Amino acid sequence: MVEIRSPSVRRGWSESVRARASEIVKQYPEPRSAVMPLLYLAMAEEGYLTDNGMREVAGAVGLTPAQVRAVASFYTMYKRENPGRYLISCCTSISCMLLGSDEVLRAIEDESDVTAGETDPAELISVEHVECIGACGGAPAVTVNYELIEGMTTEKARELVRWLRTARPEAIVGAECQELFGGRRSFDWGAFDRDSALGPYPAFGPLGTVSGPAGDQEG
Amino acid sequence: MTEPVTVTINRREVSAQPGEMLIKTAQDNGVYIPRFCWHPRMNPVGMCRMCLVEIETPRGPLMVTSCTTPVSDGMTVDTTNPSVKKAQEGVLEFLLINHPLDCPVCDRAGECPLQDQTMAYGPGESRFVEEKRHFEKPIPISELVMLDRERCILCARCTRFSEEISGDPLIEFQERGNYTEVNTFPDEPFRSYFSGNTVQICPVGALTATPYRFRARPWDLTFVVSTCQHCSSGDRINLQSSQNRLLRILGLDSEPTNQGWLSDKCRFGFEYVASPARLTSPMVRDEEGELREASWGEALDYAGGALGEVISRSGGRAVAGLGGARGTNEDAYAFSKFLRSAVGTNSVDCQMDDGLDPRLLSGIVDRARIADLEGAGSILVWGPDLKEEHPTLYLRVRRAAQELGAGLVVIHPRGTGLDDRASVKVTYQPGRGGEVLSELMDGNGRMAEAREVLSNGPVVALLGRPGYGESPDLAEATAAFVRSLPDATILPLARRGNVFGALDMGLSPALLPGRAQRGTLAAQMLADRWGELPAASGRDCRRILEGLESGDIEALVLVGADPVRDVPDGGLARRAFENAGLVVAIDQFLTDSSRMADVVFPAMGFSEVEGTVTNIEGRVLKVNRLTPGPGQSRPDWAILSDLAARLGVDLGLVSAQQISQEVEELADIYRSVNWERLDWEDRDGVVVGGDLGYVPVFSQVTSVSPRSGEMALHYARTMYDDGVMMRESPSLRPLAPGSAAHLHPSDAARLGVGEGDSVDVTSVSGSLQAGVVIDPTLEPGVVYVPFNQPDTPSLGSVLGVKVSR
Ligand code: SF4
Ligand code: FES
Ligand code: FES
Repeated sequence: MVEIRSPSVRRGWSESVRARASEIVKQYPEPRSAVMPLLYLAMAEEGYLTDNGMREVAGAVGLTPAQVRAVASFYTMYKRENPGRYLISCCTSISCMLLGSDEVLRAIEDESDVTAGETDPAELISVEHVECIGACGGAPAVTVNYELIEGMTTEKARELVRWLRTARPEAIVGAECQELFGGRRSFDWGAFDRDSALGPYPAFGPLGTVSGPAGDQEG
Repeated sequence: MTEPVTVTINRREVSAQPGEMLIKTAQDNGVYIPRFCWHPRMNPVGMCRMCLVEIETPRGPLMVTSCTTPVSDGMTVDTTNPSVKKAQEGVLEFLLINHPLDCPVCDRAGECPLQDQTMAYGPGESRFVEEKRHFEKPIPISELVMLDRERCILCARCTRFSEEISGDPLIEFQERGNYTEVNTFPDEPFRSYFSGNTVQICPVGALTATPYRFRARPWDLTFVVSTCQHCSSGDRINLQSSQNRLLRILGLDSEPTNQGWLSDKCRFGFEYVASPARLTSPMVRDEEGELREASWGEALDYAGGALGEVISRSGGRAVAGLGGARGTNEDAYAFSKFLRSAVGTNSVDCQMDDGLDPRLLSGIVDRARIADLEGAGSILVWGPDLKEEHPTLYLRVRRAAQELGAGLVVIHPRGTGLDDRASVKVTYQPGRGGEVLSELMDGNGRMAEAREVLSNGPVVALLGRPGYGESPDLAEATAAFVRSLPDATILPLARRGNVFGALDMGLSPALLPGRAQRGTLAAQMLADRWGELPAASGRDCRRILEGLESGDIEALVLVGADPVRDVPDGGLARRAFENAGLVVAIDQFLTDSSRMADVVFPAMGFSEVEGTVTNIEGRVLKVNRLTPGPGQSRPDWAILSDLAARLGVDLGLVSAQQISQEVEELADIYRSVNWERLDWEDRDGVVVGGDLGYVPVFSQVTSVSPRSGEMALHYARTMYDDGVMMRESPSLRPLAPGSAAHLHPSDAARLGVGEGDSVDVTSVSGSLQAGVVIDPTLEPGVVYVPFNQPDTPSLGSVLGVKVSR
C-alpha cells in the first residue's frame, strides 16, 4: 500500500483575518487575482508562508492549495520557511554589484555569522542575496524585513547587524534605518513619520494586507 | 460552418476550417507534426516547442508552434525543411538534457512518445555533459498514481487535464524555475476520480499507475477493443492482457461517448476479473446446509428439478428473475427468453428498486443523445451526482458548461461535482422535491434565475433519482415539465452497466425484447417465435422481494445481481432471500445474495464474453473477449439454455452471435445491429431508434417531511463502494469512503459532535454507526449517508432517520 502524507493539523485564520482577506478579494473582478496580496497577508499573519496559510488563501479565492502553492513557490520573496526575526536581503544584481554589493554581502555574512540563504540558530537574523530590488539609483541597496536602506557600505552593514542584534527593534522602519545606516539615496523619500509605521512587515502596508500601526500585529 | 480556407502544407494545397490549429489541419491531411504538449481534446499551450514549423510571412520565413497557430487563408507551411529539422533536433536535445534516459526500467518504454519522436526527429546524440536535475523518484501522489519528476518534460498535459477537463486541479507546476516540477500540495494527494487519464496522456513515463507498474512490457500486451460496463455511458476502452491476464485498460477516443477519458473506476476496476474469489465450479447446498462444489450435471439436475417442481406445483408465476443488467444484451435476451418461455413468468426486473420507470428509461419521447450536450443552450441536471455515478457524462456536462458556454442548472440535496460550473445551484431537503419542482415551474423567487437560464434552448435535461428516499415519480414529473422548455430533450439516468440493454431485451415485467410492450403486435410476433407468452402480469423488483418474503413467490433466479447489497431496502432483500423456497444464482462471486442461494453457477463476465451492450442513449456497442473465464465458468446464456433444457424446453440458443442474430430478427429496432459492423465500420456503435413514444406524465409529487425528532436522509451512491467488483479490486477497495454521516455544521453543533465523532443513524429498517463529516453543502436538518459502504447495513429507502450520539 502506498503511503500518502496525511493532512496536518489545520489551524484556521481568525475571523478578523478572514474578513480582511475578503476585503482584499473584493478589490478584484476575479477572486483568483487576489492570490498574491493574500499571500502577503498569510505571511504577515504567521511570519512566513505555511501550508496552513496557503490553504487559507486557496479557500479565500476558490483555488486549490496546489494552485496557490504553484504561485507562491515561483517567487522567492514568499518565504516558505520561517526566517529569523530580521531578514536582511542584499541586492547583488548589476548596479549594486558594480558599486560593491559583493563586499557588503560578505560583511553582513561575516558580522552576523550567517551565510546567505540561512538563519542563525537563535532565529534572530536571516541573510539572503536577492535580485534587483528596484533601487539601482541608491546602489548598493539592502532591505531588512523588506524595508529599504540605500547607499550601503561595508562599515554601515556591520553596524546594522550589530544594531539588530543589540537593539532588537520591535518593527523595522525603513526611514529610520536609512537615517542610521544609509548613504546616498536614489531620491528624496520625504520626511520620516514614525506614527505611520506598520509592523512587523511595514512594506506590505500599501497592499492593504496590514491593518493598524506597529504593535497591532503582535501576539 | 464558416467558409473553409486554403492552406499550403509542404507544397500541397489543403482546405481547413478557419481557426483550426495548424497541427490539426496537417494531421487531418496526412502530415504528422511531432508534438508533446498538444492534445486534441485540450486547449493548446505551446509548452514543449516540439511542433515548430516554418510559415511564410511578408517578412520572410517564420518559425511558429503549429499547435498554437490558427490556419489562415493562403498560409504556406513547411514542416520538413532543414531549419525545421534543426529546430526539432534542438528541442529534443533540450528535452533530453534533464531526462534520465532510464528507459530500460521505464513502463513507458516501447510506447513512449519521447522515445519514438527522438527516434524519428531527434539529434541522435547529446552534447550535455553536466549533471542532470535530480529528484527523489518515484513519489506516490495518490493511492493510484506515482510521479517520477526526473522523467517529466513539463508538457502540462496532466495539469491541464485536471484543470480543464476533470475540474479538480490537485496537481500543478511547483517551484517554477530551474527546478520546476509537477506536484500536489504537500498534504492534499491527487485523489481525483479521473487521475488515471493523466497517466494515459503523459507523453513520458513520469506518471505511472500503481495497478499496472512493472506488470508488463508494452510489446508483450495483447489487446482488444471493447466497452466498459461499470456505468451506462458505454465508454470505449482498450483491454490489454499479457499471458491471459487482464492488466490494463486504456480509454479510446470515441466521439459520441467518452472522448478518450475514463474514470478511475472504469480504468482500474477490472482487477476483480482475476480475483481468487471468482467462482470456478457450480455449487449446491448439501444436507448440512452448506454450499459445496458440484459437477455441472449435478447442479443443473438439482436446479432444474427444483424449479420444475415449483412450476408444476404453483405455475410459472411463482418464479421470478432478478438481474441481467451487468451482462451483455445476448445474455439478457437469454434470461428474458428463459423466464418467459421456459418458466412462464413476467416477474423479472433488471433494476434493483433503485431506478426509474422502465418505460421512461427506454421509451421516453424526445430522448436526448449525449452529443446534444455539445450544442445545448442550457442543461438541467436533477438526479444523482453525475461525478459519482456517471463519471464520463459528468465530464461531458462540465465541458459543455465550461468550454462551450451552456447554462447549467443543478438541483441536488447536497454539493455536487458540477457546482463550480453551475449557473444556478439549488440545494434542497430530500423529500421536498415536489415543492422544488413546483417552485421551478412557477419560476418565482430563487427559481427565477434558473428559469432564465433554462429559457435558452436547446435544453438538455439529465433526470434521475438523486437519492434512494426520493420517489421515482419526481423524475417523471420533472420530465413532463421539461418538455415545455425550448427544444428540450431528456436523458433519463440509470447507472448499472447494461441496464438499458437489459430493458431493451425485456428484463422488466411489462417490456419484451425490442422495447415491445405486452399485448402489442410486436408481442404477438414474438410469441410466434417464443411460443405462448405468460399471461399474468409480472412483478417488479420490490414486489418480487415482497412476494418472496410472503411466500407468494417461491423461487428466484438471480443473474449477476446482489439485491442484498444493491437494493436500497437491503433488509427486505435479506428477508426475501431467507424466506425464499428456492434461489438459483448465476454469478461470478459468492455475494451476500448468491451466498444464500441453493444452487450457484459460475459465470463468465467482463473481458470473458463477447456480445453487445446498449448505453444510456440507446447506442449499441460491442464488447469483446480477451481472457478466458476461470475454472468451469460459462456464459450466462449457456447456463440458462441448459437449465431450460432441464425444464424440457429448448431455447434454441447456440452461441452469443446466434442470439444477436435472433434479436436482430425479432426486435425491429435492433435490425441495424450487426456484430461484424460493430467491430469494424461502426466501432462507435449505432443508436437503436424507435422509442416507445412514452410521454412522461405529470403527477403532483407530495412532499414528505421527517417526523419530529428525525432528520431527512439523503442516501446516495459514491463512485467507490462495497459492490462486489470494487470489493474484489484491491487497488480500488481502500478508496471507498466508508460509513459516514454528513451533517450541516448547525446540526453537528446541535448534536454536540465534531468531525470524526461517531453517531448512530437509525431508520425503521436498519441502523448503522458512522463517523461525522461536517458538510456545509447540505441543508440544515439533512443527513447524508453514502450507500453500500464496507461493513455498513442498509438503512432502506426511507426519508427520515434518527441521528444520535
Ligand atoms: S508529468 Fe507527464 S503529463 Fe505531466 S507535465 Fe510531466 S511529462 Fe507532461
Ligand atoms: S541592481 Fe540592486 S537594486 Fe537594482
Ligand atoms: S505541441 Fe506545440 S508546443 Fe508542444
